[in-house]
Amino acid sequence: MSRDAYITLITSLPYAGELFAVSQTPISRIQLEARLSFLTPEDATQLQAIEGLLWWSSHSHEASDAEIAVKTKRLLGELENEWLRQLIRQRMEFRTLVAALRRRRRGESAADLNADWGFGRWLGVIHRNWSEPGFSLERAFPWVLEANRLLREEDHLGLERLLLGEQWRTLDQQGEGHYFDFEAVVAYVLKWGIMERWSSYHGEGAVRRFENVLDDAVGEYVQMFA
Amino acid sequence: MNEFVMALGWVGIYGPMALGAIGSVIGCALAGQAAIGAMIETESGHGRYVGISAMPSSQVIYGIVVMFTLNRAVTPEAAAGMFGIGLLCGLALMFSAIYQGRSCAAAINAAKAKPEIFGLSLAPAAIVEGFAVFAFVFALVLSADLPGVK
Repeated sequence: MSRDAYITLITSLPYAGELFAVSQTPISRIQLEARLSFLTPEDATQLQAIEGLLWWSSHSHEASDAEIAVKTKRLLGELENEWLRQLIRQRMEFRTLVAALRRRRRGESAADLNADWGFGRWLGVIHRNWSEPGFSLERAFPWVLEANRLLREEDHLGLERLLLGEQWRTLDQQGEGHYFDFEAVVAYVLKWGIMERWSSYHGEGAVRRFENVLDDAVGEYVQMFA
Repeated sequence: MNEFVMALGWVGIYGPMALGAIGSVIGCALAGQAAIGAMIETESGHGRYVGISAMPSSQVIYGIVVMFTLNRAVTPEAAAGMFGIGLLCGLALMFSAIYQGRSCAAAINAAKAKPEIFGLSLAPAAIVEGFAVFAFVFALVLSADLPGVK
């Protein structure tokens, strides 16, 4: 697909806007898929492979860390576009750091980590600095101390907000200079995924609230007929 | 040798028009693709998207005017000058049309998301147009000094 052919696709996608300012994605998945049909089969396959790796929902619950690490290395070997390779490396390193924070919070020690528990260049640093709040990675990941604090305080929503915000910011940075090309399409689709995830939290909250209200209402009748 | 110089003179006459047309074709196609994409996404304002996508067509008009200005008896004295002015003016028009097309595509994409910046988003395309006008005007000025006006 020539570079200019992406112009129609990119302009047909609605503005992504600000992550936390929206309560739903600017375009439904069905509509997004319809717009992505402008892609060539090669580009579509590549995008599918990237989504398959970076979206948790596409992994089976039984998939081990080692399997995901192998999948990552395989995809990095297949991709020729350095921008895409860098995007995947950064995202997987980000996830490795978050996984390390969660594992430590769960009470695991550095000795519990097996060889394939994560991915990227920071594995050794994390292992050596397991007892440090930010694994001595504050310079590379300025958000790590804040994430550690939110995890310690069990502020799950705050943590999710921080992590999604960071991913969004990284995609914004990486997308600079890419306006009408495949990289811009990939960045948009990944941003859509982040928005979809954030808006689904609102949905889950609404369901929970609805269930609570329902329980309260039914509870009164249960007492009435008891 | 004379025949070759004379041939360059003819290239100089037709060059601005041909290169301007190539630039306008590419520029309008780029901006037109953006307009089509924006029409899929939006419910209104389609007319102005199509209008913006026609902006790079001015370069071919400038090229035609320069062509008629340079159109004179091709002599060995005038041919080299005609070639220089015609070819370079044509290249300037061609590249300005292509990049204006890109600017217009970006303007359409931005105006689709934020209709309130529609006018301002056209500023880069207007600046590019200004450079095309420079190339056009000074080609006319210089061609007046060439020998052999018809």
